[in-house]
Amino acid sequence: MFGGFDFDVIERSWRYLFFTGMSFTLRLTLLAMAGGIVFGTLLAMMRLSSIKPLAWIAGSYVNTLRSIPLVLVIFWFYFLVPYIGAWIVRSDTPVQVGAFDSSLFTFVMFEACYYCEIMRAGIQSIPRGQVWAGYALGLNYWQSMGHVVLPQAFRNMLPVLLTQTIVLFQDVSLVYVLSITDFVGAASKVAERDGRLVEMYSFVAVVYFIACLVLSQLVRRLQARIAIVR
Amino acid sequence: MIKISGVSKWYGSFQVLTDCSTEVAKGEVVVVCGPSGSGKSTLIKCVNGLEPFQAGDITVDGVSVGDPKTDLPKLRARIGMVFQNFELFPHMTVTENLTLAQIKVLGRRREEALAKGMALLDRVGLKAHAAKFPGNLSGGQQQRVAIARALCMDPIAMLFDEPTSALDPEMINEVLDVMVQLAQEGMTMMVVTHEMGFARRVADRVIFMDAGKIVEDTSKNEFFGTPRSERAQLFLSKILGH
Amino acid sequence: MHYHWNWSIFWQQSPDGDGSYLHTLFVGLGWTLALALLAWAIALALGVVVGVLRTTPAKWLERLGYAYVELFRNIPLLVQMFLWYFVMPELVPKGFGDWIKHMAPPWGSFVPAVLCLGTFTSARVAEQVRAGINSLPRGQRMAGTALGLTLPQTYRYVLLPMAFRIIVPPLGSEFLNIIKNSAVALTINVVELTARARAMQEYSFQVFEAFTAATLIYLLVNLVVVLLMRHLERRVAVPGYIGPGGAPASGH
Repeated sequence: MFGGFDFDVIERSWRYLFFTGMSFTLRLTLLAMAGGIVFGTLLAMMRLSSIKPLAWIAGSYVNTLRSIPLVLVIFWFYFLVPYIGAWIVRSDTPVQVGAFDSSLFTFVMFEACYYCEIMRAGIQSIPRGQVWAGYALGLNYWQSMGHVVLPQAFRNMLPVLLTQTIVLFQDVSLVYVLSITDFVGAASKVAERDGRLVEMYSFVAVVYFIACLVLSQLVRRLQARIAIVR
Repeated sequence: MIKISGVSKWYGSFQVLTDCSTEVAKGEVVVVCGPSGSGKSTLIKCVNGLEPFQAGDITVDGVSVGDPKTDLPKLRARIGMVFQNFELFPHMTVTENLTLAQIKVLGRRREEALAKGMALLDRVGLKAHAAKFPGNLSGGQQQRVAIARALCMDPIAMLFDEPTSALDPEMINEVLDVMVQLAQEGMTMMVVTHEMGFARRVADRVIFMDAGKIVEDTSKNEFFGTPRSERAQLFLSKILGH
Repeated sequence: MHYHWNWSIFWQQSPDGDGSYLHTLFVGLGWTLALALLAWAIALALGVVVGVLRTTPAKWLERLGYAYVELFRNIPLLVQMFLWYFVMPELVPKGFGDWIKHMAPPWGSFVPAVLCLGTFTSARVAEQVRAGINSLPRGQRMAGTALGLTLPQTYRYVLLPMAFRIIVPPLGSEFLNIIKNSAVALTINVVELTARARAMQEYSFQVFEAFTAATLIYLLVNLVVVLLMRHLERRVAVPGYIGPGGAPASGH
């Protein structure tokens, strides 16, 4: 079945695939995870806030982005970010933003919606008595969130947050639609240049499979360890 | 010290507190008792603004709790509260539980907060457990740490919301002993509890609540001797039975 | 700001001669829905089988099901799309492969997209079915066999009817996911809604009008599906049963 295929192409393009492609994918994943969790936690706090307009804005934003395809969101932000940039620096013309920065912005804004729902569940699972105890000691809202609620919520939801990050790692591949060179993009460029579609795409599939399988097994083990400690 | 005037509270259309009025003078120990659902926990949570109320007002040391302009965190730092479920912060050690609010709210330096925390921990007899996590302590130990945590803030009054209701019987006394000592040292205390033995020992006054209303508000001796309302008599006969 | 809004663009003729821009968007929607529904049929059929396999007492069947789910879970949808489109025709027997490669567009793209989306989603459906069956009290299975039913009969008459009712809400979510994931098919030239919006943007330069329209259409479809799901939930609800709840699973 695999006879007649030239898998040497993988050996030849190895550096390009990993040092250009996978490096882009990993950097984007890790930075988007960090930004997404921070922004997502903020959105969760907004959704749970007693200030109605704030809750409504956050809720609408999260629900809208969770209802449309990621591909569409990628297109949206690709065109929107230069205008946002112009508004921030008060320029007349749209600001040129590089591929990595535009993608980073997109993925932070998108994944934050999913991290938001996870953190929201986490925050809501903390017993009210904990919040009262914090307030009774004289802590204000931000102090009680920062020292009492969020540390506990984050610890509880860590496995789910990490699983979402594995999903993010896979989602990054969609920057392909803008011809950006992530791991899949790099493989596709080599495939087209050398005419080795089967070899390259099979290889990409195998790499992702092994990486995600190993990562999800690690998360499962972490989950088991946390469960014992509580 | 604590003045509750005409306080009423509704959850939606359901009225949980009806026109409650009473006073706790400086150094007084007032016990609040009553059947489940009588509103006693709700009332005590209104005193430091943890629960909002829709009518009436509460003042603590002259500061109004109901006034929207009041700096509630600042007021709450001056009132200590102990909860039924202890509510120690499980992700922090005992020491960190004791020093967090001192540092973040009162602005004390770390060494000062630590010294105070250890002194109070020693006072409740738990100095050896300073580095442990709440999960490693028994219920009675956790509650004593919770009392120490509240005392670290140098409060002008202490509120107790059923402090022994979640404890196994053999641990109730170790907590009550700490509370008795506190009362004898002159702390202003408002205690929601079923422990009538405690009330008889150190209370100055006893308040009996039923269905959101204060039904009896008399001196300890009068309450245990000749309670005026039937409801209070019924309640007393039931719980003093064991 | 130099962007010129022009909402009347929708009534202009699209350069590829299909009608107005608005018309092309709706044609795209048609392809999205066709793709989603056919893939959903495959996902349900395969997903139920694998989900059931994962709950049988036979260890090796359970492991097979586990391998199936892990395979589709750990490879990005885009990569799976490429595997079906570029790699699969090369791996099957030559005659069959050639026939696939010579399929006229749009079918040459549409068929692999349906197969890809269907199998990808089947793994997720399998997990929902497994969760649904496992949420039933263990005694249900025993009661079935105690009455003399064979294992297949127990599944057919006792376990699956209840499991399906319980998992209607999460299956609704999976269907919404299929609609969103259908957009990935544009990478293999399926001209669904997002592709049409992109084309409209490229021809007319009215970027935000095009994408706003696509967004609104997706939101509308979402709304319709959510309402249908709620209706279905009410119709099949079993008295006294709330079903599995819990923290949200990750993913889209």
